[in-house]
Amino acid sequence: MTALLEVAQVCRSFGSVWALREASFVVEPHTVTALIGPNGSGKTTLFNTVTGYLRPDAGRIRFDGHDVTRARPAALYRRGLSRTFQQARVFNQLTVLENLVVAGGFGWAQLFGRRVTRGDRDRADQLLAEFRLGDVADLYAAELSYGQRKLVEFAAVLMSTPRLVLLDEPTAGVNPVMIETMERHIRERHAAGMTFLIVEHDMNFVMRLCDPVVVLDQGREIFTGPPLAVRNNPAVLDAYLGA
Amino acid sequence: MHALVQGLILGVLTAGVYALMASGQTLIFGVMRVVNMAQGAMVILGAYLAYQLFVSFGLDPFLATPITTVALFFVGVAVQWVFLRPLHADDRSQLSVLVTFAVALLLEGVMSVVWSTNDRSINTSYANDSWTVLGYQITAVRLWAFLLSLFALGALYLLLNRTRLGRAIRASVQNPESARLLGVEADRVSAIGFGLGTATAAAAGSIYGLLYPFNSGSHYDLISRLLSIVLLGGLGSVGGAAVGALVISVSSAVVAATVSPVWSEMTFFVVLLLVLLVRPRGLFGSTVRGAI
Amino acid sequence: MRRFAGPARAVVFFTVLAALPELGLAHWVLNMLVFTLMFAVMSSAWNLPGGFAGYPSLGHVAFFGLGAYAEVLWFEHNPIQTGYEPFALLPLIGIGVAVVGLPVAALAMRTRADVFAIVTITLLFITQTLAFNLRDLTGGAQGASIPPAPFPAAGYEQPFYLVLLALLAFVMALTWACMRSKVGLSLAAVRADEDKAAGVGVHAQVVKLLAFGVSVGVTGMVGAVWAYYEGFIYPQFAVDPLITVAIVLMTFLGGRATLWGPVLGAFLLELAQQYLAYSLGGSQFYLIAYALVFLVVILLLPRGILPSTQDWLRKRRRRRAIDSASGELAFSGLAKGDQP
Repeated sequence: MTALLEVAQVCRSFGSVWALREASFVVEPHTVTALIGPNGSGKTTLFNTVTGYLRPDAGRIRFDGHDVTRARPAALYRRGLSRTFQQARVFNQLTVLENLVVAGGFGWAQLFGRRVTRGDRDRADQLLAEFRLGDVADLYAAELSYGQRKLVEFAAVLMSTPRLVLLDEPTAGVNPVMIETMERHIRERHAAGMTFLIVEHDMNFVMRLCDPVVVLDQGREIFTGPPLAVRNNPAVLDAYLGA
Repeated sequence: MHALVQGLILGVLTAGVYALMASGQTLIFGVMRVVNMAQGAMVILGAYLAYQLFVSFGLDPFLATPITTVALFFVGVAVQWVFLRPLHADDRSQLSVLVTFAVALLLEGVMSVVWSTNDRSINTSYANDSWTVLGYQITAVRLWAFLLSLFALGALYLLLNRTRLGRAIRASVQNPESARLLGVEADRVSAIGFGLGTATAAAAGSIYGLLYPFNSGSHYDLISRLLSIVLLGGLGSVGGAAVGALVISVSSAVVAATVSPVWSEMTFFVVLLLVLLVRPRGLFGSTVRGAI
Repeated sequence: MRRFAGPARAVVFFTVLAALPELGLAHWVLNMLVFTLMFAVMSSAWNLPGGFAGYPSLGHVAFFGLGAYAEVLWFEHNPIQTGYEPFALLPLIGIGVAVVGLPVAALAMRTRADVFAIVTITLLFITQTLAFNLRDLTGGAQGASIPPAPFPAAGYEQPFYLVLLALLAFVMALTWACMRSKVGLSLAAVRADEDKAAGVGVHAQVVKLLAFGVSVGVTGMVGAVWAYYEGFIYPQFAVDPLITVAIVLMTFLGGRATLWGPVLGAFLLELAQQYLAYSLGGSQFYLIAYALVFLVVILLLPRGILPSTQDWLRKRRRRRAIDSASGELAFSGLAKGDQP
């Protein structure tokens, strides 16, 4: 089975600091893959490189069989690769409904059509109901709590029914109830065929939800395996404790 | 050929002044992420101050530099404190351009009221002295101006690299968040950084007043050139500003000498256009793109 | 009923304005109105890239000048018979200026908003320099002229006034259509967070260019009307940084990214300008006053009059709703429990 996402020998430096040194790993379809590692291991840089916000200095990235090493974020989105950000980024001056609609991926003809069509409304309503955001649909995103904004961000990237969703620390800064909610949504989508790559620090979350787990340290992959194996692996422990 | 070399000499000598002005501008951007549209007006204000000291007290503009520098340092700090600090962080980069532009207009208005709109220039006794070296002319004023610029740039370099204040400023330029965590007071550094930027403008002003006639409206020309230089060198890089000044000044002077003075003004803009096409972040700038 | 409030407002506004010239007003009043309309159109046009897209161009007046010189140059070689030919040329000028503006915009918009401001200002200076230097084409510092309009002295301003009013209706209609379409939605996303917008597949580049192109096209048309109105144009006035400042200030004052904000700002500021010019006369104090007004507006009312008013009204409505819910506080979506 060909991997959905292939990261091969990717390197990226900032001045004299090498954030990624020949990082290589794959994400198989229909998995919830975790990407973990101590601070500074290059996880966010990797996310930014994979999603087109940064250009790798070397290496290749393939998504669904296509070479996307130099692709820009919008193109990747249209191919079915979407992401969330570490600090939940939503469009503050747009309403929750508009946040979803704008992420729906519309074509040229629709650009000159109505701002929010009946069809947009229907599609968004489904997601709004699923995420229990129906009540706040017409509020500006800026008026929501942080946890709600994280949900909006997540819901929005699902509007285009992506094949692979990259979640950047989905549990950061939210309460346990919200964490449970997130987990439930990820499981439901996963059951429906979506693939996830999640950067996380919350080890319990990772252990419960993810398989396989990819461990990054100093810009390079040091281990990939099921969660239990990772927990006991000496190289991994060394990386976390030795740092 | 002769014209070419003469142009080169002129370009190099003039580069000093522009490097000085541009260094202040790029420093301000580095520290505060603010494009100071009033930098040109600050230079002209420095020129007027030097002019006034010369006319009223006979003080040589080179000697007046320490006075004007200090004066404009405080003007800069005041401007930053009153007009820039109140701006919200997210709006700051957009609005600062407009605010500093308004400050430039304000300065222009004040200068035209105080000194009227006639052209001024500082005519010292040695204003027309020059030497001829190997068949090429070198005016005394330009040479002294060049040396003063080097001295001022050197002083700036020492300040930024050998003092604690300089370290704090450089830290804020590289990484404002971390700098703040390490105890660097962002507000104070911003104010001082801005003041330093305008102080260098004062130093350049004395020189400018010696080299060219000026009036309250001269800041438009200046700011347009400074922006080209700073963009070429890369926003935030003082070394880049110096290199940018050299490149643009030399090409400008060479074009003036070999083609026509009229088109030398365009050199600034042509270079700018090329830079934007080929390398938007400038020679030594850092990429600010991306969701990092 | 609410749905017709907007269009009704527009109909009333334009009807009143269209009727004004018939009232036999003094020439200086009509003249002032002509300039007010010019600024209203230009501010509304600027609002598209500057307000909606979040790219504050400081060089828009370069396109004003371009339109002005284009109009003058055309009629150096073509006669004016009925007096309406210069107006008939406007659509062509608008398209021409837009076509010139697009590659410029494509280049300039590769940068962040602050660098964009620098680039556009530089554009302004380039254009002014070209206007001075390309003497064969523009007449340089001597200026260029267009034959005067053969309109009767009594109602001289009227045709200009009406054409500008039509232009205002045009640009406001476009703005309104933009706000109600996905172009507006995309622009709002770009303005809020361009990187994120790219990340969710928004056609950022297309909508930015669209906004800019339309904006400079309209601005060019105003320049052409101005040239015809003035008769004599000079580089320092055709490409005058103070015009850019005025446009930006008017839009800021009224409210960026709103439909009526720029118009409101234009009317308010033009009145203030007339008053200042009358009482302060000499240009030096005028400049100081202008700069101070600008600074006060930006620092005290950064969002502009209309958005600030809307905010205030909404907060009042929300507070009433909370108060009226007997004893219980309505938390609808305002929970702050999870703030990191």
